[in-house]
Amino acid sequence: MSQREVFLQRVKQAVVEGNRAGAAPPLPERAGVGYQGGGPDPVSRFCQELAAAGGKGYVAADSDAVLHTIQSILQAHNARKILLTCGGLIDRLDLPARLRELSLEVRTTDDVQSDPREDFFSDDVGITNVHRLIAETGSVVLASKPNEPRSASLLPPVHICLADHSQLLSDLFDLFDIFAPTGSSIQSLPPSCLTLITGPSKTGDIELKLVTGVHGPGEIHVIICDG
Amino acid sequence: MSYAQHEHHDFLGASAQALADPTLQQALTRLTDTLLAGNRRGYAALADSSELRDHAKRIKEHSLAHLDQYLEQLEASVLKFGGKVHWAATAEDARRIVVEIAKKANCKHAVKSKSMTSEEIHLNPALEQAGIEVTETDFGEFIIQVAGERPSHLVAPAVHHTRESIARVLSKHLGEQLADDPKSLAMVGRRVLREKFRQADMGITGANFAVAETGTIVLVTNEGNGRLTTTCPRVHVAIMGIEKVIPRFIDLPVFLKLLARGATGQTLSVYTTLITGPRQPGELDGAEEFHLVLLDNGRSKVLATPFRESLQCIRCGACLNACPVYRRIGGHAYGGVYSGPIGSILTPLYDSVAANPHLPHASSLCGACQAACPVKINIPHMLIGLRELQHYHKPSRWERWAYGLWSMVLCRPWAYRWALWAARLLLRRNAQNGWLSQMPGPGAEWTKVRDFPAPAAKSFRERWKELES
Ligand code: SF4
Repeated sequence: MSQREVFLQRVKQAVVEGNRAGAAPPLPERAGVGYQGGGPDPVSRFCQELAAAGGKGYVAADSDAVLHTIQSILQAHNARKILLTCGGLIDRLDLPARLRELSLEVRTTDDVQSDPREDFFSDDVGITNVHRLIAETGSVVLASKPNEPRSASLLPPVHICLADHSQLLSDLFDLFDIFAPTGSSIQSLPPSCLTLITGPSKTGDIELKLVTGVHGPGEIHVIICDG
Repeated sequence: MSYAQHEHHDFLGASAQALADPTLQQALTRLTDTLLAGNRRGYAALADSSELRDHAKRIKEHSLAHLDQYLEQLEASVLKFGGKVHWAATAEDARRIVVEIAKKANCKHAVKSKSMTSEEIHLNPALEQAGIEVTETDFGEFIIQVAGERPSHLVAPAVHHTRESIARVLSKHLGEQLADDPKSLAMVGRRVLREKFRQADMGITGANFAVAETGTIVLVTNEGNGRLTTTCPRVHVAIMGIEKVIPRFIDLPVFLKLLARGATGQTLSVYTTLITGPRQPGELDGAEEFHLVLLDNGRSKVLATPFRESLQCIRCGACLNACPVYRRIGGHAYGGVYSGPIGSILTPLYDSVAANPHLPHASSLCGACQAACPVKINIPHMLIGLRELQHYHKPSRWERWAYGLWSMVLCRPWAYRWALWAARLLLRRNAQNGWLSQMPGPGAEWTKVRDFPAPAAKSFRERWKELES
């Protein structure tokens, strides 16, 4: 028998030995248990929860307002090197071109090829699209894709994300329902990396004093485009 | 090396030492008060937290009752995405497997995200012996690694350190004089560890959960080191205990909603990372190789016993914060990898009941641990079970005699009344201000460490009689 078979055999036997009457219950159905929802105004609930976690939410009426918000964040940090992912709102707003007009050093993930690691380590700000937002928890959900690398939201000290109003979900459960709409088994497969971000990187390892930005970005800004 | 290799088994000595350390006492109070308040706030914020916790428990019960099937399903799912699965029956197997993966992929620099499982198998020394540099990247774990210590709390491994001691440890390590304010120390950590991430060719993590249906493993961190560890190096090895598997993707949010709330009171930890296999074609980052190491190391043995419930633990640390014993003596006194109430069960079970005689008794059985636990594990019940195992011996003649006398007195009301009267008389005569600081005979063991309340002047029956008349 292979090591794997011996291993599984031992587990199987332990399962049988330990399964006393009533100890092998069926997989329970959740029904509505634990569903919180996003309240009457999910956008403001999202911004509230994000603020509680230490991030900042903005609602922008049109593309000019989005650009304006980004500009003020960049200015506050005196940021020069900007990394943008591609697709989604970033393309729809033609963001790379419009930021270049402001004479910033702008690169998109289309400009970066093969091993981008060295590049990613030196950017001041990363701007990404989002997969979804969750109002209940104030979380940003990112899905890895060829033009949405994980590093863009991770390595630069400041992370700005752009979301469309329609991407806002009420509850954490809603996110998982996208992949399993029947409420039981999976229908569409998750991406290689699905990340939920709730606030800036935090540590309390020194006398419980909260310090942000120890590994990931020390600031997260979420701009929700309403128009 | 065994599951919970000990520095010492001297629980009483280590506890006394911890109690006599005012800095540690202060740190423990601050930490456990804050986290326990967070735990209560977290549950209160969920309308039906109790039902959700019951639901989570049932999912775990079900998974454990079909563990073999879910492990096979998990394996199949991981393979489908191009990952590899390794079966490690013992800690030694797991160490050998990880070293082999590193050698085969020609890895020289490993970064690690906090993982109790890798702590349990003592992975770091094995990698170092094989010439692979390992760096802990959770800031607290990094401090501990540099100081050459063991973590003392599940979620706050460096709680026993002060800003001064951290500055001292890091200054010595880096050969530069560092200021001791938390912000600048953390930024030094960022600088040093960024360099490690840049170099790293292997990332080692644990897994908070693994989903059988999709082969997804879940990492939860607040710092983001879990994300870095799985994003930068080209090889990712995740080591998980077999009890971490859950059936379906949609079962995951049940636990995510409870884990951070139970641990710190956050709605979610800052970063929840769901990794499903290696990076896919066209992606610019993420590991090119994904390995999942499934660790038994005694778990199947426990699975077959009434202590199976201990395998439901999601390592949130809530029971530590709630425990009046942990809150005073801290994590190191327990001697094992896991501390607090759940450690008092795990260490005897996996190490040996006989070698850890004090742990099942390091509890007042007040039930605060179970009340705080996101999966409502009945810790007190299992501690009593361990005490039973421990004392499953023939009573000595003296014990038999004492219990014989005890039952004789309890069976005869007149004898019971007389005994109470005599004891009250004796004890009250020696009491001062309602307390006894010295008791005779075997009672002296009690008063050596705490005073004993003197009995009331009148018994309950006497007062009852008075009230009735
Ligand atoms: S026993 Fe419960 S409270 Fe304690 S660490 Fe495990 S899950 Fe958390």
